[in-house]
Formats: sequence, structure tokens, C-alpha cells
Amino acid sequence: MDSDRRRDSRSWDWDSPQCRSQLDEIFFRENDYIRAGSPEHKEFWAFFDRFQRFKIKREMSGSGFSGEEERGGKDKKTGTKDLGLPKEYDARYRINVSVFTRDVEERMGRSDQRSRQRSSGPGSQEISDFRLALLHFLDFSQKQSFGKLAKLRREQKNLPIFQYQDRILELVRLHPVVVVAGDTGCGKSTQVPQYLLSAGFSHIACTQPRRIACISLAKRVSFESLNQYGSKVGYQIRFETTRTTSTKLLFLTEGLLLRQIQQDESLDQYQVVIVDEVHERHLHCDFLLGVLRTLLKQRPNLRLILMSATINIKLFSEYFNSAPVLQVPGRLFPIQVIYQPIPPEEQASRSEKLDPRPYLRILQGIDQRYPPEERGDLLLFLSGVAEISTIQEACQIYATHTRRWIVLPLHSTLSLAQQDKVFDIAPPGVRKCIISTNIAETSVTIDGVRFVADSGKVKEMSFDPKAKMQRLQEFWISRASSEQRKGRAGRTGPGVCYRLYSESDYNAFAPYPVPEIHRVALDSLILQMKSMNLGDPLSFVFIDPPPSSSIQTAVTYLKQQGALDNRSELTSIGKLLAQLPVDVVIGKMLVLGSLFNLVEPMLTVAAALSVQSPFLRSSQQNPDCATARQPLHSNHGDPFTLLNTFNAWVEVKGERGGGSRKWCRRRGLEEQRLYEMVNLRRQFKELLKSHGLLESEETAPSGGDRAKRRERLTERRKLHQLKRDHEQQEGSKRKVLKLEEGQDGELSGSGSDTEERGRGRKDKKDRKEQDVDIQEVKFKLRHNVSELQEAVSVSQDLSSRQQALLKLLLCRGLYPQLALPDEHNTTRKDSDQVFHTRSKQGVVIHPTSVFSSDPEVLHVPEADSRDTGPDRKDSSKHQLLAFVTLLETNKPYLSNCVRVPALQALLLVSNSVDTNADCTRLVVDGWLELELKEPEEALRVLSTAISLRAEWERLLQAQLGQNQAGEASVQGLSRRNREKLSENLVRFLLYTEVVYSLQRLTALQTQNLYVGPQPESDSSYAETPDLSLLFPGADPKPDPIKGGLQVTSFFTYNCLTDSKDLYSECLRTFWSCPNCDLYMPLTPLERMHHEASCRPAGEKEQEEKESEGGRAGSSSMSALTRAYHCDVCNEDLTLTSTEILKHKRQHMYSAK
Amino acid sequence: MDEAIETPQKTFTCQLCGLSSPFTYYGQKPPNTRAIVLLEECFVTKDPFSPEKDKFLVLGSTCSLCSLCVCVSSDCSLFYTKRFCMQCVNKHLDQFPQQIQAELTKKQSSKAAVS
Repeated sequence: MDSDRRRDSRSWDWDSPQCRSQLDEIFFRENDYIRAGSPEHKEFWAFFDRFQRFKIKREMSGSGFSGEEERGGKDKKTGTKDLGLPKEYDARYRINVSVFTRDVEERMGRSDQRSRQRSSGPGSQEISDFRLALLHFLDFSQKQSFGKLAKLRREQKNLPIFQYQDRILELVRLHPVVVVAGDTGCGKSTQVPQYLLSAGFSHIACTQPRRIACISLAKRVSFESLNQYGSKVGYQIRFETTRTTSTKLLFLTEGLLLRQIQQDESLDQYQVVIVDEVHERHLHCDFLLGVLRTLLKQRPNLRLILMSATINIKLFSEYFNSAPVLQVPGRLFPIQVIYQPIPPEEQASRSEKLDPRPYLRILQGIDQRYPPEERGDLLLFLSGVAEISTIQEACQIYATHTRRWIVLPLHSTLSLAQQDKVFDIAPPGVRKCIISTNIAETSVTIDGVRFVADSGKVKEMSFDPKAKMQRLQEFWISRASSEQRKGRAGRTGPGVCYRLYSESDYNAFAPYPVPEIHRVALDSLILQMKSMNLGDPLSFVFIDPPPSSSIQTAVTYLKQQGALDNRSELTSIGKLLAQLPVDVVIGKMLVLGSLFNLVEPMLTVAAALSVQSPFLRSSQQNPDCATARQPLHSNHGDPFTLLNTFNAWVEVKGERGGGSRKWCRRRGLEEQRLYEMVNLRRQFKELLKSHGLLESEETAPSGGDRAKRRERLTERRKLHQLKRDHEQQEGSKRKVLKLEEGQDGELSGSGSDTEERGRGRKDKKDRKEQDVDIQEVKFKLRHNVSELQEAVSVSQDLSSRQQALLKLLLCRGLYPQLALPDEHNTTRKDSDQVFHTRSKQGVVIHPTSVFSSDPEVLHVPEADSRDTGPDRKDSSKHQLLAFVTLLETNKPYLSNCVRVPALQALLLVSNSVDTNADCTRLVVDGWLELELKEPEEALRVLSTAISLRAEWERLLQAQLGQNQAGEASVQGLSRRNREKLSENLVRFLLYTEVVYSLQRLTALQTQNLYVGPQPESDSSYAETPDLSLLFPGADPKPDPIKGGLQVTSFFTYNCLTDSKDLYSECLRTFWSCPNCDLYMPLTPLERMHHEASCRPAGEKEQEEKESEGGRAGSSSMSALTRAYHCDVCNEDLTLTSTEILKHKRQHMYSAK
Repeated sequence: MDEAIETPQKTFTCQLCGLSSPFTYYGQKPPNTRAIVLLEECFVTKDPFSPEKDKFLVLGSTCSLCSLCVCVSSDCSLFYTKRFCMQCVNKHLDQFPQQIQAELTKKQSSKAAVS
């Protein structure tokens, strides 16, 4: 027996894979607690190796497992009670688990016999050794998990808020609204939701101002509430949700909760709503509070908890009927404040670069005062990106010299990879110097900061309603921000805060920052309020009402945009726009795009204009990037460049999948933005579908192919696994920075991409191994690449006709955001090109725009133009720029521009076109003047535009109305109508060759623009009944302000002062209609109208056929005819307006 | 509505350190553990730190001498063939083997050094 075993042991090798797999078969079968192949199984074998080594060491050192030396121990002294403990110590007695192995032993009995023949397989000694190891492993993993739990509970208990748990719950039970105020580190954001959960509340929403906070809080709280792998705690942000039916606590953004209220007015899905960070006073948050305040009256059971820093608490409490406030102390370490105001000689004047000396002194001071082995990083707050790069440059020189610093910039226009570096760890003896905008004040929290240097400045966006312009200006920060910045130094230990201003400056700061609602355009807010039936925005009770002028501006703007009607009620397009989570302008484009066959490119453009530009600023100076980008550029405008870029990216995705990352890097593109675009694009598409603006596609054309479907299914499963794996690894992979880290970026001229490329080459291997491109995985999970490619290929090679139409739609969406090139631009340098908007003169194109490098395409071609006087050029090629944003930083900049033919675009989109008597002089929106050479041409152009617009409007209304009625039968016909309209629009855009001059009106001209109202007794007024019949539907009436005749909502005829003679008969000239046999003297207006209703013979026939074919045909006909009662022959007739005119004339001539 | 259906969670609380956490099973044979048996009646929950749903975690049990409810933390209890709360261990320290006694004194002195 003994010899047997020895033989077995000799052949038994713990390290051999065969031997191990034999044991796996016994202990780790499919149904066992630990399964072969599972991660735990791997852990076990790793543990087993350690355990064996430990055992051998113990045996060598002579102290075996059974303690020999304790024999004859102290058990003799036992006094009171015998516990019945074994006399010999054995570590296994300390394990409270056992593995029940009778079946294993039986099996072993069998295999023992077999093993004798094969002289392999585990003997009983091996089995028991193995079992012991397994027990130790089980005990070890129990201890490990319990240790985590205990640590977690300890940390929770140590939070300042812990002792208020019962008090908070009591307040919530007793009061509808409770304010919890506590400073950084008190634990309110993570703990309060948990207290509610454990008290049995189960439909809790907790809003956050930032998406990233929703994700990280959901992660943390689900971990702390021991539900890391469940969905009790979830989050929901724009494109992602982890919410399931079992979710009890949901973190979501403020904007999203507002959208939910829009859909579900009483918000029945929640029992408790927590609004976190209310002190930050974001637009959505202020509005949300107002909405919830009204909601509370409807839902007395709803519980509302406001959480805030200890800032201005009274304001919130009073807004909610003196709600009780619970104040919790924060947990900050002491922070020493040092005021180091910048001496006057180092203060930069407005135009100069920042002087880096005060900042360098801080770095030097830290190096002198604190030994390098005392860790702690520096966080430096500056106002903007330009300031950051100035200081970064200077600090980098110092860092390279001392080798004690790694300098890292942090702002939102950096690539995400660059932003992420601030979380990495500096090597020993080296500190990070993070130079940041106010993004690090609240949004980004970096651990390990011990020193803060605060410039006291911030750049903030404000809105100038007069110029309709956003402005990015530098301000002193508020005391609240100042304290917040200081607090960043005391999160992990005592810290120091250097303030680059004096204490008296500090005292002069405003107490709080200006709330967002006072700074920004309120268009979207007002639109949303309207759609939520909140009544007059002016009387809505905001926590801190915005200036009424600001509301008024927004209402006017929405009216201009056609979202509100004259009574300030939502129009049908307005209702739709209110549902779209985008700017009104972008929403409008989407709706317009859906009418024509341009949905796919429009979806892309709308998505692209709604996210940050994917083009990284830093790589603009990089010649390699510029060359690689060149093929993507379109000189039609930035939206087209974005469209090209997206399409090219999708193609790369389809061909090379993960290779797109490299493709982007080479072109200086932030791929994250493209991922955002593709997600947003899909959301838009779904929204359009759900509003009936887009026919749902035939479902799954590849559905029949089973093999393919299965393939896709397995791929999805794999992707899901990858995503899960990635999520588990996350957080545990902070890298150690290299000393050269900051240097690279600096030396290559702040080209983050060259640096990354360099780095990528260096450690390609370990990158590839550990770094799954999680974005690529998510992308593949969310989108069907081939479907996307198909969609994109539609918009890949737009014909010039489609391009023209797309431009027009963009222009109509963007209207009134139009700019006119200055007349002297041809003589200016590329960089000095000047433009004018209606409300702001002298704006320039942002350097990121294609037009800044290629401004010639905006010039009137010399060959084509005729100078007809000073500052006046006659041409048929005048162009305007439609732009997305006008933002003033150091200069007012236009960005995201598209060029459009001026006359055509203005006639088709503008809100007001005024003319003189023969329509050769047009004034658009009271600021642009167009003078046409030929009255004949002028009339033709104007009348074409008017009829195109009428048809466009009719189809648009039908499209918008249809989605409510849901009449499918109309679709076929309206599609044909749409095709015809788009063809006509294109023809108008591309082939209108009318020579005209285009200029701004001077101030003097604007003053004396209109003739003004005419006395009723005017003899010529008697003629107007004729005119009133000209335009069915909108009967022309004298304009009470401008004078002349208001013919359509946008067109006022003959109201300009230079008009020769009002309604004068002498303007009538004989004219023969090319389409019918009409030949008679007509005024320009009459002629225009005749043209609008008289179609060429061919078209007419077709129309008649159509009307026979479909019911809806009659509606298109009936649009042209109207009931008319003739007083002379006393008959009721149904005639078109021209027919009426003819009819009347008959009587007139016969009477004469 | 849902709240009404919801069964109140059973909570385990250590009578020495106050640690408390919901538990899902009390006994010696947690569900789905196959060959594994506990050598004492334990308060058990699903291991919240493991992605696998069948992994269990022992929170604590009752002291075999005084029936105090204690968690498995080495500050509160000790298992040596049976569960003993720390109070009972200290009372009967002499009956425990040398190794354990040494370990406990070492731990106590290191604790004293810290505080």
C-alpha cells in the first residue's frame, strides 16, 4: 500500500495540466459551486500555487501544520468549562465550510483501480491535499468578500451624513419637500438615495446636472447597496439606460426628467424625486424646480428632496413654502488660503497674452517648501483654452528643467484620451500640474490634489438678445465658486489654496454665480413650457425669474421661426419641435428634410450640428492632419464637410471596424463625437418615425437569411460579453504617467495627435491586449453597420441638385441667421473677410470654418459682375451665408456656415419681402436691398417664388397634419407633389439667372423706407376689390403700417417709398399668358397671380388626371378655385381667381 | 402598489460591531451550492461582489456559548470547530491552542500601538 502510494505520488505532478484537469473533472464539474473554466476556477489554481508554496516553506522551516511544540499545552489549567476543542491545532478547524465529497470518493475508488493500470490519477492523499486547499480557498474568498462588505459599511458609517439618516427619513415622511444642504464630501449624493431605498421607498428618481455623474453615481450606489450586478439601481441618459422593471432608484439628467414630465404630466412613475446640486442653478434645474412646484399641488403624495451645497439655502426653502432644511457638515480637511495678488506690472492688458510669472512662482514655491516625497498635485484654474496653453507652455519649460512636474491641460475641447490623463498617477517624486478651466470646479473631480492655484477668472457664455449673439466673456468668479475651487485642495488631506487676487478682491466678488437662466437664450425653454401647457411664461413662478425682455425675445424668435403663431400658441410644427431634444433651428431642419427625399443626409447634418465639432482644434496646425482632412472638405459649407466626414467614417467602420480609431487619429478627429453623432442620428430618426414624418422601413430585408441572423446573434452575444468584461475591469486601471508625458504634447506644438500616435507606436502591444475599444463594441451593439452604410450611401454622392435643395433646407432652418459678405471683401486678405448680420455688423468667419481658408467662393465672380456705381455690383451670383452660431470671444465669429444663392434663398425663406410698384426693388426683412434690372424678370422671379412657397407651405402643413389624421392614402399623391415641388425648387435655385445688386440699407434708408398707410378715400383704392380677389385664402389688404398691399403673410406689394404710383392703372401693360390664351392689360400683381394659378397645358392635363385618380386630387384643384358670387349676373360660381378676374372684366368692358 | 407586495427584507445585525446587512438564507446548506456544507447555522446572503448569482457570502452566526449574534469579522468572532464571539473567546482564552492565543495577543498589541 505504502509503496503503491509512493509510486502514485511519483507519477503525480501538481503542475501538469493533465493532472489538474483530472482534478477539475472531480471537483469542478458543470454543476459544481466552482465550474472549470470560470474566472473563479482560474483564481483557485492561482491560489493553489500560492498555497503549495506556502506549505513547502512551512515544512522546510520545520513548523508543520500540526503544532508539535504545543503538546502538553495549557489545557491542564482549564478552570471553568470545557469547550471541547481538539487538543491538536489544525488550521482547517478554523474553516466553517466543508466540501461534501462522498461521490468524489466513490469515483476515486473506481479511478484508483484504473489509475493503477495507467499509473496516473490522483490518489487519496492527493485528493485530501486538494480538498484542504479547496477549503482554504473557499474560506479565503469568503474573507475577501466579507472584508469588502465590512469596509463598505465602515466607510458609510464614517460619512458625516450617516448620523442624520433617521432625521432625514423622518422629515421626508412628514413633509412634501425637504432641503438637504451639505458641502463636498458629506456623502449626500450617494447616501440619501440609499436611505430611501432601505426605508422601503421604491420609485425614486435622482436628477443630476451632468450625464457622467448619473453613470458614476449609479455605479457607486449599486455597489454600496450590494446590487452591483442587479438593476435595482440604474441610470438613464440621452442614449443609454440600465433601467429595467426592477429598477427602484434611477439616476437621470434634469433635462430627461423634464422630457418625462412632458410625456407623463403627473409623473406617476415616481414616488420620490431627488433634485441634486440645485445650487448650481442650471437652466434645466431652475425650470424643473418650477415644474415640480406646480406638480406637487396635483400630487400631494409626491416627495421632493432638494440637495444642495450650503449656498443660498434660504432661497430654495422659501420657494417651496418654507420647506424644512437639514444642514450636514462637509468633510473637508483644513485648507490654508494664501492671497498672492498679481502685481500690476505682471497683469496682462486685454490684448496681451497672460504673464506666466505669477504661476511659475507658485510651482517654484511648492518645490522649495515641500519635499518631493510628500505627494500632492497642483490644480490651476484659468479662464480659457488660450490662457491654458500660454501657461502650460511656460510651466512645461520649468518642468523639463526641474524634472519634478508633469504638466497636463484640462478643458472640454481636448480629446477624451487627453482629458483622461489627469486621472493617471505621477511617478514618485513628481507632481502633476493640472491646468484647467472651471470644468474641474464641479464636473471633474481629481483625487490627490493638495494645492490649488486660482486665477479668480472664468469665461462665461452670455446671450445678447439685441444682436442675437452669444458672447464668451471673462469675468471675476463669485465667492461661491472661489470656495468651491479652494475646496478641491482638501478632499484627501490638508491642502493649500493660492489665490491670485487680494482678499479685498475676494470680498468684492458677487456672492453667487449668475444663474444660467439669466444668461442664455430661452427659446427652447419657452417652447417646452408651451408644450407643457404651463400658461403664459411671463407669469410662471420661477425660483428666480429671468428678465421679461429675455422671455419676450424668445417668444418673438419662436414666432419668427414659425413655432408659435400670432397668439403665441404652438403651431403644428412648434408642437413637433417641442418634442425634439434639440435646438429649434435643428429641429426645423429635420422636419423640412423629411418632406423631401433628403432625410438621410439631413439626419446626419442635424446630428453633426448638435454635437461638439469632431475636428480637434489642436490638430489644425498639424500639416499631416490638414492634408488627410482635405478630401473631406466641401466648399459649400461646414455642414457638408461634416456630412462627408461622417459618411467616410461609416465607410471605414464597415470595412475595417476597429480601424476607424486610427483613421480618426490621422485626421485629427475625436471619434467620440462621431459616436455621439451616430447615436443622435438614430434618435432623430426614431423621433421622426414616431411622429409619422418618416415611413417605417420594410422590416428586416435580410430576415429570411437564417444563417446570417444566427451569425449576427452570436456576434452580439460576444459583444455583450466584451462589454461586461470591460465594465468589470474598469476603474482598476489608472496608469502611471511618464515624466515626458506633458512634454511630448508641448514640443509638437500642442498636437495631441502626434503625441498619441507616437505613444501608440511605443507600447502598441500592451495597448492592444488590455484595451478593447469599448466604443466600437457599444457601436456594434447599437447599430447595424451595413444598414447604416446603406443609409449613408444615399447621402454620399449628392447630385448638385440635391445639394442645392439641402442647402435651401438648411437655410430655411437657420433663417434668420443669415450674413451678407461685405462688398469690399474681394480686396481684402483672406483673414480679413468681413460679414454683416441684420443685428451685428463686422463679424468674421471662425478659423475652423471651410470658408476661412477658402473665402473666394463667396465672392461675386469678377467676370460676371458689372460695377454700376460705388459699392454696388450687378450680378446673378450674389451669395449669403447661413450660419448656426454667432459667438463673440475676442471677435464676433460665425461658425458652421453654408453658402446659398442670395435672391432665391431670400425669396423662399424670408419673413418679409417688400417691393416697389414694378417689383424691381425688393427690401428683405427691412435690412437687405435687392435691385433688379429688368421689371420683366423681377416679376417672373417673384411670382415663381410666391407660388413655390405656397405649394411648399401647403405640403408641409399636409405633412404635419397628416401624421395626426394618419391618412395613408394621401401619401402616394403627396409624394408626387413633393417630387414636383423639389424639382421646381431646384430649378429655381440653380437656373434663375437674374442680374441684381445686393446691399444693406443705410440707416437713413431704413427710416424712410415705407410709404405708410394711405387714406381710405384715395381714388385708386376703389380699384382694390379686383386685387382682393387675386390671392385666394389670404386676401390682400392695405398694410396698416408699411402702406401698399399685403399680398401674402410675407409679401407686401408697392409699399416702398420710391414707388411710382399706388395701384396705378398706368402700370397695367398688355400681356399674353404663355400657357393660356389670356391677353389683356394687367398690373404686375395681377399678372403674378395669374401666373400662380395658370399652369402650362401639359401640367394641367396631368393634374386633371391625378384628380380623377385619387380623392386628394380634388383638394389640389379646389385650392385654386373658390366660391364666388357675382353681383352683376347674380350667380354663384366656382372659379379660380383668374377666372373671376376674367369674369369681372367681362362686365367691366361690357359696361363701358 | 409594488411596495405593498414587497416582503420586508430580513436584516442581520452583528450584536458586537453593529454591522448590518440584509440576508437571504439562514442555515447550513445555502441554495445552489452543490457539494458545499456549512459547519454551523449561518446568516447567508448572495455574494454581492461576485457577478455569479449562486455565489454566497456568510455574514455571521450565533456564538456557540452565549448565542450572541455575531458577524464573521475577526474583531467580533472566531471559528474553531464552532463559532465563538470575541467576548467568550477572551473568557476562555486558555482553552484555545497556542497559535490562536498568540495571534490574538499580537493583534491586540498592534491595535494598541495604532490607537
